[in-house]
Amino acid sequence: MTQKLDLLDIQGNIIRAYGRFGYPMARYVFFNIRHSARAREFVGTVTDRVTTAVEWGEGPGQIKQPDWTVNIAFAYQGLKQLELPRASLSGFSPEFISGMKDRRDILGDDGPSSPENWDPIWAENRKNRDKDVHIFIALNARLPALLEEGYAWLTGVAKQYRDAVAILNGHRGEHGALYDYQDVKAVMENGQPTAKEHFGYTDGIGDPVFEGAPNYDLNVRGRGKQLEDGSWAPLATGEFLLGHIDEAREYPPAPEPILLSRNGTYMVYRKLHENVATFDAYLDEQGRKYPGGKELLAAKFVGRWRDNGAPLVKAPDAESKQKFDAEFAAADQAGKDKLLSDFTFDDDMSGAKCPFSSHIRRINPRASLQMVKGSKPGSMIFNKDAFDTPGALSNRRRILRRGLPYGEVKDRSRDDGNHGIVIMMLNTDINRQFEFVQQEWINYGNDFQEGSDKEILLGNHNADNKFPSKAVLQVDPNSDQAPYMLSKIPRFIETRGGEYFFVPSLTALRMIAQGVVDPT
Amino acid sequence: MSNIAGKAYAMNVITPIRWTTAWLNKLIFWIALKRPSTLRGLITLSLIHYARWVIIGKNQFPHLDSSQPKEKLHYSYMLFFSNFNGSWDQYVDSFTFAIPGGLDLFWKWNIRYPKSVALTPFHHYIRYNQIETIHYYNAYPLATSNDVKSAKAVKDALIQFQCQSADDESDDNFLQRYNALLRGLQHDLGAMHPTPIVSMSAYQVERRKRWHDGSLQKEIAAQQAAQGGQNHDR
Repeated sequence: MTQKLDLLDIQGNIIRAYGRFGYPMARYVFFNIRHSARAREFVGTVTDRVTTAVEWGEGPGQIKQPDWTVNIAFAYQGLKQLELPRASLSGFSPEFISGMKDRRDILGDDGPSSPENWDPIWAENRKNRDKDVHIFIALNARLPALLEEGYAWLTGVAKQYRDAVAILNGHRGEHGALYDYQDVKAVMENGQPTAKEHFGYTDGIGDPVFEGAPNYDLNVRGRGKQLEDGSWAPLATGEFLLGHIDEAREYPPAPEPILLSRNGTYMVYRKLHENVATFDAYLDEQGRKYPGGKELLAAKFVGRWRDNGAPLVKAPDAESKQKFDAEFAAADQAGKDKLLSDFTFDDDMSGAKCPFSSHIRRINPRASLQMVKGSKPGSMIFNKDAFDTPGALSNRRRILRRGLPYGEVKDRSRDDGNHGIVIMMLNTDINRQFEFVQQEWINYGNDFQEGSDKEILLGNHNADNKFPSKAVLQVDPNSDQAPYMLSKIPRFIETRGGEYFFVPSLTALRMIAQGVVDPT
Repeated sequence: MSNIAGKAYAMNVITPIRWTTAWLNKLIFWIALKRPSTLRGLITLSLIHYARWVIIGKNQFPHLDSSQPKEKLHYSYMLFFSNFNGSWDQYVDSFTFAIPGGLDLFWKWNIRYPKSVALTPFHHYIRYNQIETIHYYNAYPLATSNDVKSAKAVKDALIQFQCQSADDESDDNFLQRYNALLRGLQHDLGAMHPTPIVSMSAYQVERRKRWHDGSLQKEIAAQQAAQGGQNHDR
């Protein structure tokens, strides 16, 4: 069953992580609707400029790669203001209707991450109708000047419709100044954009591969779903795009009419502040004690080495890392991708290489949850054929990630600068995919038989001493080592805002703009 | 009512089955118990405490007193009873993701069973036939079944460790044994903290608010003090 997607109908940000396609910077602008009918016209005007997922080319009849891209999405309140019929509105998922702030308990957004501490635009959202976030517009660009060009266009359009939509202020920037937009851009090294975030990790590796996406068959190993015979298959399209069959062989629940939801998806927008000073200090302190040294410890937090993203299951120590690096340096782009993504945890069931609390094992356990305790104390073994398919517990928890860092670290000895990451996650079921991973795998550990131990990097670790966070870094059960205990893990990441959005297809955008969405 | 107590969830599902096929189900259960490999998937899902399936014949429902009106039932019934950790969604989804074939085998003969894949009709089937839990008590609300198993493993290992200790043991030997102890328990040392939030019922949301600001602990302490006082009076 192969299907070709209608790329001209799908927004470009769903298929492409723009940062990896030569657009290392972006600006996100949010609008409040003041007049419904005129706002629909505004949506129509923006839609004419929206970047689709179509493949670019220089040839005749092909669409040229744009200098800057435009994408648009809507919060539930926005769709209501655009006057979608009630029967369509009630078809959206409950968590999308409630919004991210209402889901704070589910997401673990407590303490410094709680909504009172979010950027004003997010703290005010869903409190006061005039401050509600209704429309999201993203501009991605190749160069700073081109981003300004795109922004000038957008503010021009907004001005033309100033009776209908207002740009919302309140994104915190340098020294607490408030902005009309959220800027994000790749971290630069020697004038070149990198794939690094502010803790120094290489980001954006191993996005899921699904059926119908361009070139999905080329890099399915390690990025699709793991099958019994060791082969890999792309995930079902319906895990990421509404109106397509999903892994449960059904159409994911979606609003009616089908033209409104088909080729659209849900987007989770989250602004995450990075406490760089706390991170550096903790890594230094523990790195002095950890037998493998500081860089290996940093790799244990995530499951990948910081410099090039080498996965620990392939390069568990300094020696194997050197070999990996030589191979990596010699590989072409496709080879590099394969080296970074094509692996399983089958030979690391006890977590001696990649710990159970590390980032990549928690957000995508692959087939490793098909595990039972082995007879050797401290071992876990792969319980072959226990499940219908080895990745049964992971395949329906996958998420497309589109993130770029924001701000700049000017003083690594301080946490309170303007630095972090804005991550956008795309999935067809926010509750089953994003929220589940956030709640059960990042902020909790029972599925990994780790009790309440959280994911090391992103977990909402407790600042107080009542329930201090810790993690166990497992060792080879056949060795004579002791597992390493990371104690009193501080909170490295704090939520600074976010919301759930719906990213419609081009067809749906035109229907919304014309006011003809009609489920009757 | 609440199906949740601490980190545990109690699920009762009762579904009609024709008496003409009920015996086939009994046969399937019998075979499953004889061949443990059929239950391997179920056992690998570590969030499950246990699961039990029972066929209740149409004349087997309790009749407590002659004044109780006699029911006229058309079907036999299959009672499914399970306790697990996590949310309803997580449990039902884990079942259908991991062992759809096993589920279909056990429910195969039940009236209007839709099969476990696709997911949405299966969700509806379970929801519709679920009987809510009126009263549910949990002695260890912070513990999952994994936590209990781990705690037992830690206790046994510690006792054994102590038994093997000798006064004249060398430091090196002690360290080696201590490292082996930790290594052997490396999958049993998870922390035990309050449960992640699965319920958004108004009562639970309000209770969490009070827990966060510390007033719930005070109320409980006051309650306990009052109860203690009462007992004393007696």
